[in-house]
Amino acid sequence: MAYSEKVIDHYSDPRNVGSLDKSDENVGTGLVGAPECGDVMKLQIQVDPVSKEIIDAKFKTFGCGSAIASSSLATEWVKGKSIDEAMSIQNTEIVEELSLPPVKIHCSVLAEDAIKAAISDYKSRNED
Amino acid sequence: MAFEQPACQTCESTLISRLFCFSCNAFQPLPREIDLFEVMGLPIAFEIDSEELEELYQRLSLELHPDFFETAPEAEKRLSETALVILNRAYNTLRDSTLRAGYLLFLLAKDKKLDERTLPVGFLQQMFNMQEALDELLNSDDTAALIRMSKDLQDRHKKIETSFVSLFKIIEDSPEDLEKLQQLQTYLNADRYLRRLVDRIPENGLLQN
Repeated sequence: MAYSEKVIDHYSDPRNVGSLDKSDENVGTGLVGAPECGDVMKLQIQVDPVSKEIIDAKFKTFGCGSAIASSSLATEWVKGKSIDEAMSIQNTEIVEELSLPPVKIHCSVLAEDAIKAAISDYKSRNED
Repeated sequence: MAFEQPACQTCESTLISRLFCFSCNAFQPLPREIDLFEVMGLPIAFEIDSEELEELYQRLSLELHPDFFETAPEAEKRLSETALVILNRAYNTLRDSTLRAGYLLFLLAKDKKLDERTLPVGFLQQMFNMQEALDELLNSDDTAALIRMSKDLQDRHKKIETSFVSLFKIIEDSPEDLEKLQQLQTYLNADRYLRRLVDRIPENGLLQN
């Protein structure tokens, strides 16, 4: 199966690889996996405590090219967004942007799940 | 599990494989959904006789070899190609314990609604940590540590395999036991994550059996 140009671009030059301090209260961590293939994805967001904007995002994914590209793209997209805006990112937008074939749609679902898991982790640690 | 030996549509001898009759060399009409266990002449169970599987695979691949059908009528040629594809799928699925467990669970849980994403508590974090550790090991020259990790992974896989054996036995007696079916799904998911790690280990780090 041939990867699209955008997948290859993200795969060979992934954006925002790395980790944020998990214990920082402004950081939300999402860890998700795809049992059908064994891919594991960690996505973290750092939220500005005043503006509530996502000011940084990092990821680390162990999986196929599409999973890496999906999570790399996800970190690019959430940066600069409010939590609510990031929450509304749909996997179908990732599929479209990366031209993922049907067998790789679950990679985009994983990335959407990772964003949601990171946000819910952040929220659970910042309940007033 | 009950296993009815099917008969050849042409000569009525008992079929060993659902694909082909060894008595009269006739291809069998293929049902829409073919049972891979039946293709390999095995009872539907997790524990299989690997020798029997190998033997039948060799025998059938010989009979279905494309070389024999080069000059055959188009319809027979196509039948033999389809049969070969099914044979390879059956063989590859059933010889691998993880794939076999997955296929068997698929057969047993067909009309039941299992949660397909369950994992043991804390398992995903463990897998992530092991993936990170493996990254480091692969960038170092520490073959001994790599072998240790490979052994650890294989031990975990064997434990899951043992659980497969006992859980599938329980299901055999009480096929409606949803809790046990779900437990099987959980172990199967875990096994797939382990497999993903094992696949990243180069040959010199693999434990020699």
